[in-house]
Order: sequence, then structure tokens, then C-alpha cells
Amino acid sequence: MNEKIAVNRRLFLKGATVAGAAAGSGAALVPTETKALTAAGKAMPPSAEMMRAELEKPTPIAASSSEGGRPGSDFMVDVLRALDIEYVATNPASSCRGLHESINNYAMNQKPELLTVMHEEIGGAMAHGYAKVSGKPMGLLFHGTVGMQHATMSLYNAWCDRVPMFVMSGNHLDAAHRIPGVATTHAAQDPLAIVRDFTKWDDQPASLQAAAEAMTRAYKISMTPPYAPVAISLDAHLQEMSYGEGEKLRIPKLSKTAPPAGDSEAVRDLAKMLLEAQNPVIVVDRLTRTPRGMPLLVELAELVGAAVVDQYGRQNFPSRHPLNQTDRARPVVAAADFVLGLEVSDFWGIVNSFNDNPSQKQGTRIKEGTKLATITTRDLYIRANYQDFQRYQGVDLSIAADSEATLPLLIEAVRSALTDSHKTAIGKRREALAKAFDQSRNRLISEAATLGWDETPISTARLSAELWAAIKDHDWALVSRDARLSNWPHRLWNFDKSYQFIGDSGGAGQGYGMGAALGAALAHREHGRLVVNVQGDGDLMYGPGALWTAVHHKIPLLTIMHNNKGYHQEVMHVQRMGNWRNRGIERASIGTKIQNPDVDFATLAKSMGMASFGPVTDPNELGSVLKRAVAMVKAGEPVLVDVVMQPR
Amino acid sequence: MKSLSILSLVAGLSFCGSQAAVSADAERGRQIFEKVGCYQCHGFQGQGANTGPKLAPDPLPAEGIAAFIRNSGETLMPNYVEAVLPDADVADIHAYLLTIKKPPSVKDIPLLNQR
Ligand code: HEC
Repeated sequence: MNEKIAVNRRLFLKGATVAGAAAGSGAALVPTETKALTAAGKAMPPSAEMMRAELEKPTPIAASSSEGGRPGSDFMVDVLRALDIEYVATNPASSCRGLHESINNYAMNQKPELLTVMHEEIGGAMAHGYAKVSGKPMGLLFHGTVGMQHATMSLYNAWCDRVPMFVMSGNHLDAAHRIPGVATTHAAQDPLAIVRDFTKWDDQPASLQAAAEAMTRAYKISMTPPYAPVAISLDAHLQEMSYGEGEKLRIPKLSKTAPPAGDSEAVRDLAKMLLEAQNPVIVVDRLTRTPRGMPLLVELAELVGAAVVDQYGRQNFPSRHPLNQTDRARPVVAAADFVLGLEVSDFWGIVNSFNDNPSQKQGTRIKEGTKLATITTRDLYIRANYQDFQRYQGVDLSIAADSEATLPLLIEAVRSALTDSHKTAIGKRREALAKAFDQSRNRLISEAATLGWDETPISTARLSAELWAAIKDHDWALVSRDARLSNWPHRLWNFDKSYQFIGDSGGAGQGYGMGAALGAALAHREHGRLVVNVQGDGDLMYGPGALWTAVHHKIPLLTIMHNNKGYHQEVMHVQRMGNWRNRGIERASIGTKIQNPDVDFATLAKSMGMASFGPVTDPNELGSVLKRAVAMVKAGEPVLVDVVMQPR
Repeated sequence: MKSLSILSLVAGLSFCGSQAAVSADAERGRQIFEKVGCYQCHGFQGQGANTGPKLAPDPLPAEGIAAFIRNSGETLMPNYVEAVLPDADVADIHAYLLTIKKPPSVKDIPLLNQR
């Protein structure tokens, strides 16, 4: 087998042309007319040709080599197709060249289609955002060792955010046959050890049949709640080998796993606790996995008359629903006699306070006797090293299950225990909560949103109101976290569909924003939605190459630069230390501000072919700029608008 | 140099507070408000954000502000001691906050009345 590969390699490296001929019996594709292929090492074709290659109607090219057989990586493409992987984001690498070439010439860059990313971290972030909109993983094809080292943080974000991700990395395990020098430097015995703490499963199959099984198992595990990244090391040898007539390779059936729902007795107890409570509160973070999540939560909250506090890990609850008490979270939790957490990552932080000042004073946020319950897949799967599981919080009832899958059972249990006297109390509570919602929202808009309305830098409320005017008559989605905008979008806009918001990075690793927005926008593209990303300036500068990917792959997306000229969270941390130590905070800008020189984001975008506006400093100009930008995005372009804004 | 780099952030931005009310102290107060980082949590015009409450218009009385700055107790607001923020500077910050005009009323802002 190894000799065969050696022959293949020699031919390849000589720049041999590959003529069309019937491949081995495993080949699903019809041989085509003889057609010369450009071998590796030749000059890149001009970009027009490249574009044609990517856009033209595909005619798969059968492989041929002196000893016959079919490329192993063609079979891997068949597996990817069986898994319904539509896109594979990659940064090209020698250890992945076999599969890369098969996607180009066997799949003809159609299902999967390659997305070129300029850093593996951007690819990981794209897969992250894509999965939260499409509900399925994107493939990632990364170089072993150095590529995976680049990718790690994006996997950690996805891990913390409970997002599926399908990572394939290359390797050259066989020391006797790998290329000396760089390829050997990039080889490893256990290449996925680096991500094992924050992937749910990984494997390094030793045969093509094992690869098909590993890939299928990986997909299934990634898509079983709690969703998480998985990684498969596809050795270059397997990719590059040819397999012959006699080898009967089989793609196993993908059996999707039904998500785990709560124990029926525990669910009945929970229904009772909800109905017995005078002031029940539901705190929700990453409930919504599918479009079913939001309507189910609405049904439950209305049924029991519970206040809902959304932590915005996903779009869990309509922003204008009268039971939405997110802006009153503190007083509502303080008054609660029962708090239910649904897929909350930090339940301790809901129930307790922690003051980040020298006293580190900690206290409770709830009344004595308040009962607590949780439903979360976090109780089903946990790893030891990284501390994303947060502090331990004891509760009265803990259900290890997927919340979305459990809600129908809980709703049924509540319905069957509901009495008339419950109904009267629930009706009154709903009325009071609706009134509180109206008052709180009106006060926020009339007393807080107006402040600094006409000022420069532009206020986050003004930006949010201008954006709302520009998008509200379209089918829109916001694909960035809005805490940096003091949550004004959720206060001002009408979020009533789960795809309209995808939460944040999960692991708070910087360099997520633009990539995740792109991946999300790609998934929204087929629905023709108008997608908005309010992008942190520091975050973009981790991987500005993402702008190029947006243009190259024609992903329509409106990016608003939240240009506050610094790593603002860190500015505040350094200030805090300076003040604790009574040394003042005048020098907090050292190492935290992005100034001298200011980054010209509009020019940065233009340099990669992206239309751009700004920097916009006058709030009164914002409306017309956004209108023009939206029209361009609706016509299919990515556009960037640089807005000089208040820090938060 | 370093503090200049903070100041350069706002160089060239129009100062939209009430021009008439700008006294020397208020203008100095505005610069200090930026230099010592009040704006980072409270916004450049003290309008508030999810990192710190609104300070203006209608600021607390001077003594109230001074007392809070010196001893903010068990809150997320960091204390500023006299050595890093002298009383005179605090008074100037207060003077600056006094110059900040009331924003337009919500009924005069169509963008805040859209559904
Ligand atoms: C790191 C963020 C931060 C910085 C910097 C900061 N503050 Fe604050 N400030 C806060 C927070 C948070 C509160 C609310 C404290 C609470 O009541 O819990 C606050 C409260 C206040 C209050 C009380 C407001 C009220 O109505 O109760 C005043 C006055 C104030 N800050 C002034 C200042 C001034 C002046 C500066 C600069 C010298 C400053 N702050 C810098 C975060 C900050």
C-alpha cells in the first residue's frame, strides 16, 4: 500500500497530468472526457479562471493513476455527502491536500463547497455561527499541529456555547513514509490531544473503512445534546492512498440520536413546584436549539404566569412579550420564591452576587426559602480541566436533560395539575408582570435611550434605533451579541423569531465576531435574510482576513464597526486595578487602547474588495448611510459601516 | 504623553453641551472626566450604559458626587482617592456634568416611537 502511495506521490510531484479513465468499482462518478488537470506546484491560474472553476456547472473528474484504484479522499467526500455536510472551511495545508483535491475535482466544489479562510480561528468561528442558524455542523479541514493550534480557541468557544462542529485535520503518522522537513515537523503521535479537553470525541482512524465509521460516529455525537465539537484526524496516507476493486467500503447509516428528555417523575415534581410558587421566575440561557424552543417557552411561561429572564445565549423568548422581565432581572429574582434555570451556564451567578472589588464580597440574591430547579444537559457531560462549568450551585430539583426536549412533557404535566384557583392567581400575576414590562420599557426608552441622543461619539441607543429603522421592514437577523450595545437592540427591536439572534461566543474568546457573523450570514443567505453584525473593533483585528472571505464567497452581511478604539472590557479592568492600588487610572490606556494610529476600518474593508462607509461620527448622518448600506446588502454584497461609538 | 493619547480620542469632536454654560472649570472638568476614565463606564456625556448609571443631566449635588467617588462602598464603581483625583478635580467634573443639556423629549424623536 505504501509503495502505491509513493508512486502516486512521485507522479503528482512531477506535475503529471491525470487523464480520465474509469476509476475503481467504488467510484460513483461517470468518467468524463480526458481533461488535463493542473498539478500541485504549478502557478495559480488567474482569478477569472478560478472564479469560473468555482462557479461553472461541475463535471466530476475521475482519477486515474498508473496502478488504478480510486483515491481514498474521494471516498471521504462520499462520507461527507452522506452526512449532508454542505460547506468545508479550510486554510490549505499539505496534510489535507488529498481531501482538498478531491473536493475540488471529485465533488467539483459542490457539496461540500470549500470556503477559503485566512486563519483557522476564522474558520472555526464561521462554523460556530453557521451551526447556530442552520442547526447542523459545517465541516472544517485544518492542517495537523500548526493548523489545529490556530484553531483551538474557536473550538473552545463552540464547546462552551454548546455548538456542533465537525473538524477534520490532516497528519502524517507513518514516519517511514512522510516527507522529511516541514511535513514531519507538523506530524504528531496524538494530534488531537491539543483539543481533547474541549471536544466531545475524537479519533484517528487507521483505514478508510474506520474513517467512514469514525466520521459518522463523530457527526452523531456532535449532534446529540449537549452539542459540542468533534475532531477526526484523517491521515494523509488515507487521503492519498488508492483503493482497489476488491475493497468493499461501506458508509454506515447515520442514526440521529433523539435528545434526552427529563425523567417523568421529576418533571411532575417540577410542574408542581411551578404551580405552587407565588412568584416563579424562569431564567433561560441556551434553551433554543431548534425553532420549537421559543414557542414552547412562551407556552410554559404563559401557562404558569412566570417571569422570564433571558440571558441571551440564544433567542429564547420574544423581546416584547409581556412576561419578559429581562431588564428587571435583579428585582424579579430577588422577589422570586421559585427560580427555574433552563440550560443556564452560570446558575450560581444568578443566585449569588460577587463583587469584583478588593473585598470580593459575596452574597445571596434570593430570599430565604426560595426553591431552585434546573434542567440542563450540563449535568450530562462535563470535563475537568477548563472551568466553563462555573461554580457549583445546589438546587432543590436537578433534571439532567435537554430543556427543549423536556418542555413538552413539562407543559403537559402542568396542564394536568392546573386547577381553577391556580388559574386565578396566574391571571393576576400575568397582569402585574405585563404592567411592569410596559413601565420598564417605557421608562428605558423615554429616560435612558434619549440620553446623549445627538452627541458624538454616537450613543449605542441611537445606533440601535437607527439600525432598527433601516432593517425592520425586512426579514432580518442580528448575528452579534448586543451586551456591548448595552442591550439596546433587545430593548428596542421586536425579536419574535428564534433565528433573529444567536447569542455570543460562549467562551468569550476574542476573534469570534466576524467569522461567526459570516457563518451565520451564509446560513441565512438561502433564505434571503438581511443580516446585521455589530462588530467589536478589537475582535475584528484578530482576524481581519474574514472580510476577504465575505467578499470572495459573496456572503451578504451588514457589518457595523462598534469603533470604541480599544479593548474596552480590559480598559475597565486595568482602571479597576489602578484605583484599587490608589495609583489612578490615567495610564489604563497603555496596552488597552487601539489608537495612535486609529484603524481606518473603511479602508481596511476596501483593501479586500468590500464596500464600506465611514468613519461616521455625526449621529444625524447615520440614517442615510445605513439606508444606502442596507440597499447594497440586499443586492447581495457584504458592506462595512465604521461608526465611532460610545464604549457601551 | 499617555494622558494625551486618551485626550486625542475626543480631539476634534464637537462638544455638544450647553456652550453658554461652559465655564473654565466645566471645560477642565470635561477633560478630567475623560482623562480619569469616568466616560469608560458612564459614557462621554455621563449618559449611562450597562457598565455604569447615568450621571447627567441633573447630576447629584457636588457633595454627593464627591462622597460617592471617595467611597463607593460595595459597588462596582472603583474608589478614587484624593491623591489620584483631588477635590478640585471632582468639583470641576461636577461643573461639567451641570453643563450637560437635557436630551430631546422622547415624543420629539420619531425613531424612538417606531414599532
Ligand atoms: C469601572 C467603571 C466605572 C468608572 C471608571 C467610574 N464609575 Fe462611577 N459608577 C460605576 C458603577 C458600576 C456605578 C453604580 C454603583 C452602584 O450603585 O452599584 C457608579 C456610580 C457612580 C455614581 C453614583 C450615581 C448615582 O446616581 O448613584 C457617581 C456620581 C459616579 N459613579 C461618578 C463617577 C465619576 C465622576 C467617575 C470618574 C472619576 C466614575 N464614576 C468612574 C462605574 C464606574
